[in-house]
Amino acid sequence: MNYLLTQSVDNAADRTPERAAVGYAGASLTWSALARRSNGLARILVAHGVRRGDRVGLFMNKSLDSAVAMHGVMKAGGAYVPLDPFAPAARTALVIRDCGIRHVITTDLKLDQTVLLDEDIAGVTCLIGSSPREGFRCVSWSEVEAAAADAPPDVQLTEQDLAYILYTSGSTGTPKGIMHTHRSGLSFAVWAAETYGLTADDRVSNHAPLHFDLSTFDFFAAAQVGATTVIVPEAIAKLPSDVGRLMERERLTVWYSVPFALIQLLERGNLKSLDLGLLRWILFAGEVFPTKHLRRLLAVLPHVRFSNLFGPTETNVCTYYHVPTDLPTSEEPIPIGKPCGNIESLVVDGNEAPVAQGEPGELLIRGGVVMCGYWGRPDLNEAAFSRRKVFDGRYEDTFYRTGDLVEWLPDGNLKYLGRKDRQIKTRGYRVELDEVEAALLSLPAVEEAAAFAVPDGHGSTLIEAAVTARDGSLLTPESVMGHVATHLPPYAVPVRVRVIEVFPRTSTGKIDRRELAAHAV
Amino acid sequence: MSDYQNALTEFIKQEILHGRSVKLDDDQDLLNAGIIDSLGILRLVAFIEERFGVKVPDEDVVFENFQNIKVMARYVEERRRAAEPRVES
Repeated sequence: MNYLLTQSVDNAADRTPERAAVGYAGASLTWSALARRSNGLARILVAHGVRRGDRVGLFMNKSLDSAVAMHGVMKAGGAYVPLDPFAPAARTALVIRDCGIRHVITTDLKLDQTVLLDEDIAGVTCLIGSSPREGFRCVSWSEVEAAAADAPPDVQLTEQDLAYILYTSGSTGTPKGIMHTHRSGLSFAVWAAETYGLTADDRVSNHAPLHFDLSTFDFFAAAQVGATTVIVPEAIAKLPSDVGRLMERERLTVWYSVPFALIQLLERGNLKSLDLGLLRWILFAGEVFPTKHLRRLLAVLPHVRFSNLFGPTETNVCTYYHVPTDLPTSEEPIPIGKPCGNIESLVVDGNEAPVAQGEPGELLIRGGVVMCGYWGRPDLNEAAFSRRKVFDGRYEDTFYRTGDLVEWLPDGNLKYLGRKDRQIKTRGYRVELDEVEAALLSLPAVEEAAAFAVPDGHGSTLIEAAVTARDGSLLTPESVMGHVATHLPPYAVPVRVRVIEVFPRTSTGKIDRRELAAHAV
Repeated sequence: MSDYQNALTEFIKQEILHGRSVKLDDDQDLLNAGIIDSLGILRLVAFIEERFGVKVPDEDVVFENFQNIKVMARYVEERRRAAEPRVES
């Protein structure tokens, strides 16, 4: 019985050493190579001081090395922390500082536009995969490859050990680190591999970036059965025609992405001209899939089954819904489905009492898939977890408060109603509008700021903002956007900023964001 | 630098980078660097169609034509030339 995420790699390396574990741009890494290289990397990390529970940053564009890096860190007993290669350096610096990263695995610290300076990586002492840099212990990739070994370092871990931390938008302006253990990661991976009937013959896409929780399905659920993960290169991930051709050329059998990527494929990917006969599952998560687009996609790919996976990064996936082939003709969004077999879900009111079917309430989740908490944030953990009696009051357990408002439908499915807070999704990315406003307000010339989501015309939303200038300050939309772009990841930067004289107000005197959104372009 | 290159550079600076100080050479890989994201590509295609009066079919929105400003400008030039009425001499 596996209890660590990395064991699946060693198992596949034993069973099918020569089959492909990961594919990238026509090249691939066998299970044997992945196991041996991650063992070697783990040994190097341990030799350079990585100890159980240490956080190790991954600052790299996706490649075959990414898989080596993830498993290498975990085999060393560490938790990998993907650093968004496209986020501004200031934000990456915050993450590095927040969880005390001392080791960074990278292909290069200059990923084209993001250049990490020494002050951005304060506290980091060791760089793996980097060219020599003064003041740091550096290990080259060729040394990592030369260290490939049959066995990992001798590190004793339990299922409760940290495996990875995924940073997400925090409402105060500081990103927060969602901690997953081997247990919570594996709990999801095992469920997913079973539910979608993955086998060693499957070729599973990896479209999401590593700091996005969809990637844990792509790598860890696939590894459970020795299936191949085919990485969609960053360079083409945004180009539907190229993505479509990759799906055909790579003979993908399982696709997983946010709805936005699928809508783009549908609208611009020439799906009809492609032979996608081997594709059997299209899985999507991260956002509501507009029903009219989903219906068209079903019609173009009638042989494919579709499933909606739902859950915040904090719970991996907590509900799922297999889309029926005869989707109703209404534009009603599809339900988020039934709770996964490995969790318990409750829908509760403001007093945390369960609500009746048809009543709106907050979704609470208990089970192995739930994170162990936010890194270094006892305040957030206090608010996020609810201790409740379970099993007829025989003992107590913690539930995670998702902040998602849902209701039970008569058929036992859950319907998604919205958020309790101001978290939104834009093209699948999760953004706290409060964080966007905090970034706007950090500009001294800004007096007041409001960020809000508007429909993008492609089934998702875009972020817009409005600001007022402090007395006597000169403020232009360009200067405001230039400023927030150095604080927020690109997807969270408002596409438009208006500098206005006075904010519209509600009767209670608050900024009327609804009114602002109504006047968006 | 061609007019196409200038116009594309200007658009990317203003509308996609929002004044962020990013090195923007003609052969800077915009896709690998994440400078153009999924929204950026849609806006860029719309800009090319409107500004240069050419139709950009979906199958042309590929890495070879959009990797950097140089290849984008070359693509626009080819599309413009293809759209011009043939003059028989």
